[in-house]
Amino acid sequence: MAQATWEKQAAGLEYEKIIKKKSTNWKFLVGGGLILASVLYLIISSTISGASYFITVEDLLANPEYVGQRVRISGAVLGHTIEYDSENLILDFTISHIPDEYDNLAEALHQSVNDPTMAQIPVHIENQVKPDLLRHEAQAIVTGYLGEDGVFYASELNLKCPSRFDDGSSSQNLADDVDHSEEYADYAG
Amino acid sequence: MLAEIGVVALGLAFIASMYAIVAAIYGGRTHQERWVISARNAAIATFPLMLIACLVLVIALMNGEYQINYVRATTDPSTPDFYRFTALWGSQEGSLLFWSSIMSLFAMLAMLINWHNERRLMPYVIAYSMATLAFFLFLSLFLENPFERVWLTLGEDGQTRVVDSLFIPPNAFPPTLESLAADARGLNPLLRHFGMIIHPPMLYLGFVGFTIPFAFAMAALASGDLSTNWIKATRRWTLVAWLFLSLGLILGGRWAYDVLGWGGYWGWDPVENAAFLPWLIGTAFLHSVMIQEKRGMLKVWNMFLIIGTFSAVMFGTFATRSGLIESVHSFARSEIGLPMFIFWAGITLVSVSMIIWRWNRGELQDEHHFAGWFSRETMFVLNNIVFIVLAVAIFWGSFGAPIISELFAGEEITLGTDYFMRVTPPLFALMYILMGVAPISAWGATSINRMGRAMVIPLMLTFLTLVLIVLLGTRHLVALVAYGVVSLAGWVAVYETYRGMMARVRTRHENPLVALIALFTRNRRRYGGYIVHLGIVVIGIGIIGSTLFQIERQGLILRGETLQINDEYALRFDDFTVAQANDGRIMDIATVTVIRNNKEIAQLQPRIDQFPSMPMSIAGAHSTLENDFYVLLVPWENISAESAIFKVYINPLVNLVWWGGLILILGTIISVYPNDKIPVRVRSTVQPQLATGAAWGD
Repeated sequence: MAQATWEKQAAGLEYEKIIKKKSTNWKFLVGGGLILASVLYLIISSTISGASYFITVEDLLANPEYVGQRVRISGAVLGHTIEYDSENLILDFTISHIPDEYDNLAEALHQSVNDPTMAQIPVHIENQVKPDLLRHEAQAIVTGYLGEDGVFYASELNLKCPSRFDDGSSSQNLADDVDHSEEYADYAG
Repeated sequence: MLAEIGVVALGLAFIASMYAIVAAIYGGRTHQERWVISARNAAIATFPLMLIACLVLVIALMNGEYQINYVRATTDPSTPDFYRFTALWGSQEGSLLFWSSIMSLFAMLAMLINWHNERRLMPYVIAYSMATLAFFLFLSLFLENPFERVWLTLGEDGQTRVVDSLFIPPNAFPPTLESLAADARGLNPLLRHFGMIIHPPMLYLGFVGFTIPFAFAMAALASGDLSTNWIKATRRWTLVAWLFLSLGLILGGRWAYDVLGWGGYWGWDPVENAAFLPWLIGTAFLHSVMIQEKRGMLKVWNMFLIIGTFSAVMFGTFATRSGLIESVHSFARSEIGLPMFIFWAGITLVSVSMIIWRWNRGELQDEHHFAGWFSRETMFVLNNIVFIVLAVAIFWGSFGAPIISELFAGEEITLGTDYFMRVTPPLFALMYILMGVAPISAWGATSINRMGRAMVIPLMLTFLTLVLIVLLGTRHLVALVAYGVVSLAGWVAVYETYRGMMARVRTRHENPLVALIALFTRNRRRYGGYIVHLGIVVIGIGIIGSTLFQIERQGLILRGETLQINDEYALRFDDFTVAQANDGRIMDIATVTVIRNNKEIAQLQPRIDQFPSMPMSIAGAHSTLENDFYVLLVPWENISAESAIFKVYINPLVNLVWWGGLILILGTIISVYPNDKIPVRVRSTVQPQLATGAAWGD
């Protein structure tokens, strides 16, 4: 008899323990769910407000629906078009289209600036000190919107100047400088 | 000859690392110690070999051996010796070599330091660390060889062709010395800065440092020694890696601030973010291993965190240099993109399968359950969640969203600074709140009353701080909330240290200074940690001040005239000179005077250096703890002695960012510094059966 009571008590304790464990688990689940939901909200809402399409100059000019919409474009800077009003910190320059896919950025930039058939777009940016990297054949990545007047009003400007060593190959100039290759025949032999 | 020595050393190191992997696994599985010792010796031998390879490259750089492509790409005849040396990590091939050398050094140190205590783990530590090293050496040898040279060959048509090759091709000859020197590029002027010189090695030391705890964690899984041994063995490794990574990030910020001339130090650029990711996950790991040590909980989670840190390290090493940032397609095309992905995926797959295997066998069961919302363990878990969410949000913003939209929608979506400025501040605020609350909570159950009582004084001090800030003139609500949250974390750290000190004063009747020193020597991890918290608080105050209250103004000033910046500050243009530096660059130097409340407080010389490849603006700054007065000479065509344009930034409290960095370093060093304990040798003679008994098993 005594033994049965003891067993019953033990079973009761075990049961309480399970209930207790379950309720804490439940609390942690709700807490975790709330944290997850607010984090997701934060990331998704910021993504929507901060997102801009990264498109090419050609895409931008070909699709009128982009006019007035916040986009990011990348293009090759045409050196002779750079105009800088240093008193009011207003910067104007034209960029020309770089294709979506290329093997070597330096080469793509070089081809782009030398091809007059490439789509081009004037960029206007205010309150901007002329960056040291802004020069002919640099890659400009600008964020802003295309105005009705066909000018791209940028609020953010990033520049990149790839060196020709980035692809690891040597320059043909080395061979161009050799006038008397025969002199080295002995060395090689 | 030089280049050949480098290649051979590199090749031998690769063979040694491959041998070490095989011998270590074989020895570990069959319990044959001589194989494990042989593997260890091979692993240690990789370091001198890598040292030779590095020395060879340094000699080539110092002597201007321009036939080596790497030397030509990173130096030119006018490069000063200091930058010739640092060109070792100036570009991809060299930095991979440098990375591998640090890896071999750390592996060697791990063998020497942890060999006697962790014999059961060591075979697998060797295997994992050498697998990482072997992978990097594979890249250096076959894809990104720093010793590749340029040769000329005569074609059948009589044309001279340029050939890149490691060894001399048939019928080839080297180009003329003059043409090689003329073809040399030199270091990008933007990179010629103290911060940029030591920032990459610091980052690499941090990156590589984290691979050691990773190797130990995986060794624990492989060997079945799933006690806290691997955590105890790697605690210092983790802290040292964390220290270097923190230093690397701070120096990178300092470089951007000094050199890039936009008045800021962190631009949420993908390159910066890629280095920040391992820091975030590593910081989570640093905290959560303490729960496993004290309470035997979160065993699986810690394994995932260290795998996460290792993955972030791999990602950080490659993302920036392999074209991933430009687009997924250029990453897929880049030579190291695919091997890197395969290596990362392989290691992760093996690691995760081992976790699942051990978990299924019930060997990773937690020993305790969570005791309540306010226990120390819950605080640490929340801290982990904040760090991981920060890492995920930053990864999403810099890489996730652009890559996924490009792969699946065909159009690339990018997220700019706006995104990061919206997502991260609430998360950082949470981090500081937890930093304030967690040190007060206790392991196991903590009652809310007890915590409330412990918070009273720090809360009062925070309130007084805010009153002081308001009296000094700040009325900005967001700023006050931010200052409040951050300073609470600081006051808690200070007050907890004070309480510890006073407890000693009361119970042991020590004088307060003796008590404070004793406190730090007895519990270095805890009180060193509080100093690190204090450093993070100081950095936080600096970031709030310089982000919310930056003043920006520009204008044309005639010589002798003054430009009013705000009510307090003005700038006078005194003089303009042109000078030539010894490396040939022309410098346009303006001399200006900073005037505050009609008193001259400093003379600055902002300048523009005309490097052959590009001009570079170098700011002049008057730095005090209160603020930086930062002046740029704006480049324009008619720069002259008569008038010039200046751009001025006043960055309040920005110097606290750097000072906070120094406090953080101090705190980490205190935490890392070894406690006084019985030397290993004494212990093993005292308990011989224990020392040998633990060596082999499984």
